[in-house]
Amino acid sequence: MSDGLVQILDGNTFVVSDSRGDVEASLTDPTGLFSFDTRFLSKWVLTLNGERLNPLSVDDLQYFETRFFLVPGTGTVYVDAKLSVIRRRAVGDGFHEELTILNHDEKPVDITVRFDAASDFADLFEVKDALEKKGTYSTHVDNGSLRLGYERETFRRETVISASSPATIDENGLTLAAHIEPHGVWTTDIDVVTAVGGGGRYTKPKYHREGQARPNMERSLEKWLGDAPRVESDWEPLKTTYRRSLVDLAALRFAPAIMGGHSLPAAGLPWFMTMFGRDSIFTSLQSLPFTPELAATTLLALGDWQGSRLDDFRDEDPGRILHEMRYGEMTAFEERPHCPYYGAADATPLYVVLLDEYERWTGDRKLVRDLEQQARAALEWIDKYADLMDNGYVSYQRRNEKTGLENQCWKDSWDSISYKNGDIPGFPRATCELQGYAYDAKMRGARLARLVWKDPAYADKLEQEAAELKRRFNRDYWVEDGEYFALALDAEGNQVDALASNNGHLLWSGIVDKSKAKAVAANLMGPRLFSGWGIRTLAEGEGRYNPIGYHVGTVWPFDSSFVAWGLRRYGFKKEAAQIAAGILDAAECFQGRLPEAFGGYARTVTKYPVQYPTACSPQAWSTGAPLLLLRTMLGLEPLGDHLVIDPALPQGIGRLELLDIPGRWGKLDAFGRGRVRTGGGGSRQQLGLVDDLMPKRKRKKSRVTA
Amino acid sequence: MKDPTEEFFDELGRRGHEPMLRKATGTLRFDLTGGKSETHWSVAMKKGDVSVSRANGEADCVVTTNRPLFDKIVVGETNAMAALLRGEIAVEGDLELLALFQRVFSGPAESIQRREAAVAGRSS
Repeated sequence: MSDGLVQILDGNTFVVSDSRGDVEASLTDPTGLFSFDTRFLSKWVLTLNGERLNPLSVDDLQYFETRFFLVPGTGTVYVDAKLSVIRRRAVGDGFHEELTILNHDEKPVDITVRFDAASDFADLFEVKDALEKKGTYSTHVDNGSLRLGYERETFRRETVISASSPATIDENGLTLAAHIEPHGVWTTDIDVVTAVGGGGRYTKPKYHREGQARPNMERSLEKWLGDAPRVESDWEPLKTTYRRSLVDLAALRFAPAIMGGHSLPAAGLPWFMTMFGRDSIFTSLQSLPFTPELAATTLLALGDWQGSRLDDFRDEDPGRILHEMRYGEMTAFEERPHCPYYGAADATPLYVVLLDEYERWTGDRKLVRDLEQQARAALEWIDKYADLMDNGYVSYQRRNEKTGLENQCWKDSWDSISYKNGDIPGFPRATCELQGYAYDAKMRGARLARLVWKDPAYADKLEQEAAELKRRFNRDYWVEDGEYFALALDAEGNQVDALASNNGHLLWSGIVDKSKAKAVAANLMGPRLFSGWGIRTLAEGEGRYNPIGYHVGTVWPFDSSFVAWGLRRYGFKKEAAQIAAGILDAAECFQGRLPEAFGGYARTVTKYPVQYPTACSPQAWSTGAPLLLLRTMLGLEPLGDHLVIDPALPQGIGRLELLDIPGRWGKLDAFGRGRVRTGGGGSRQQLGLVDDLMPKRKRKKSRVTA
Repeated sequence: MKDPTEEFFDELGRRGHEPMLRKATGTLRFDLTGGKSETHWSVAMKKGDVSVSRANGEADCVVTTNRPLFDKIVVGETNAMAALLRGEIAVEGDLELLALFQRVFSGPAESIQRREAAVAGRSS
């Protein structure tokens, strides 16, 4: 993370500190111990004999554990190396800190160890928007622990701090006396436990005192890595990127309280460690060939929370899939609509898309049967609640005009949807990719209706509607003189005619007429949209184009990965490989961890992808992008009980193997061979352009493990 | 005159089947305080079949709150999940049962009226 901040997390509990391990947060400063969208510690400062410490190094052991190596003394050239200090911190329901002090001197020492502690119990939304608190604070010293509390009516949150060694506790922290023999070691364990509750009830902390650093998490990371398919390639950076993606995806796992320990991908770390309809679905789609259990949990959890009634404050409708779930004070007092908030127009059709794609990979028809009701309700939402303009297209306009989201598509910034001349349309807006998702949802819903729900009449109806939607869409959205699809239709039914990356999502959805696909692909790969690294969100030359504008010119790896999938769907293998090459080259520049977005500057100009400054890293769907690109490079496509493998590798990858791909076939290996070989010993070589497509070579090795 | 809570449970019991509860299996008990004494409603759910009783028996999930608040929840004046986060509702046991069950509560009357007006305006 930037700014020298160190973060560790477990689910939605995380600690952000400076490189000494200290926290000194102001209301707007995003450091501290957070859990369930509430800050439980805003001050956590260690001193020895009244002196702050100096960081020597930080060891990021795991995403849930860090070690800080420190020495006393600040601000001088020389450090007093007679003592060294190690803070080992692991996050759980709060965190556990093991403090070790080593005396390197020949004399014994006596040290006053002090932890200053305080909490402002800020809601994450308050940290973002700098809002004032409405409740009252309390501090108690009680039975060997310091209890920091916050109360507003029945809403109660508490932080309980205690130490394993005798400590003098006051309202501002803990003081411990350490006597250390020559060359001796002194150690103590501190527990900081978060408690959520009301009316005197609190959740029971999972570890308190007896708990050390939750070693079960480490094992589960090993198992996670061991269970995923293996990548072998002569292009070394790909292996690094793949491993980074898997580890980050593990860190992004979030187990909702109602899911019995099963996890789904949260959106981003640390501020978006919660369920998001759109992000969780897209990431589940990207990771299906690797970790299909994420998709299953996503489908179940989003199904449980599916909208059931009309509620304008939450932009909820029957059948609608949630946008975002939050647990903080502002949500509790309905100052924010997030329990959950439903303001997304794409998550609902994408829910059906994921359900079908999940079945195609896993063959898990039981889940499709179990979720029939939810899928039907989602499909009904498309026609009954999303057609705001009564013109047969999905559009969005928030009903919660105070705290709801204006833009309910993935490009959710205020200026993301514009005409060529830069003007911004009013509402409702029917962005093009929503029509593609609706089309795909109907087609896939029809497949499931025929195959699993045994309702051919419903399948016929959905297919007819899809065909009709496709026919109208190709007429109404097609920009004749540019040969691409308009970004949206406005409230008057006019084309919002800017050229944008959304065209790639249309290919992915299958809504594009075959006769138009070549022109669309040419636009995507042309100099206005393809930067050399990936696809710009908005084409160069459009009124609002800005290479560092959030959704108006930057390249989003997640977006590009779906564009690549779309290109493959219409047979443009070479072009898909070209995008894979660009994004994977960019990943190499970021040590395998792709940012949410990077600048849309031409690759020939900057030679290096310029990172867009955002607070969240890793971001789930950026983490998923290399996974989806592995799929598109190898041309993996489930067909009945088989897996079709049809590789098209970028130049610079001579050999690509994906081993033990899980699915309805048991486990399968996929091999791809390119004609071009890299130099020996994995010397750094960017992938660059596709030279020629290799001859198709399928070598399937079936090893059924069931 | 029945109050909203009684009406809600009576109506649910008469329906006997609620498609939105197909995924829920188990018994959910509501302990409602306030007024003269604590009242109980138990809802047994299995694949969408629902039976409601006033029993105070074993349950997989027990929800405790006060009666005036629950009256507001069933008619959509207050949101159950927000009340849970506020600490006005306490839950013991299987939280998923409550998450599934809360979908049966109504939305706010104004939201429903606004929608009806919009649909009527469109078709006229």
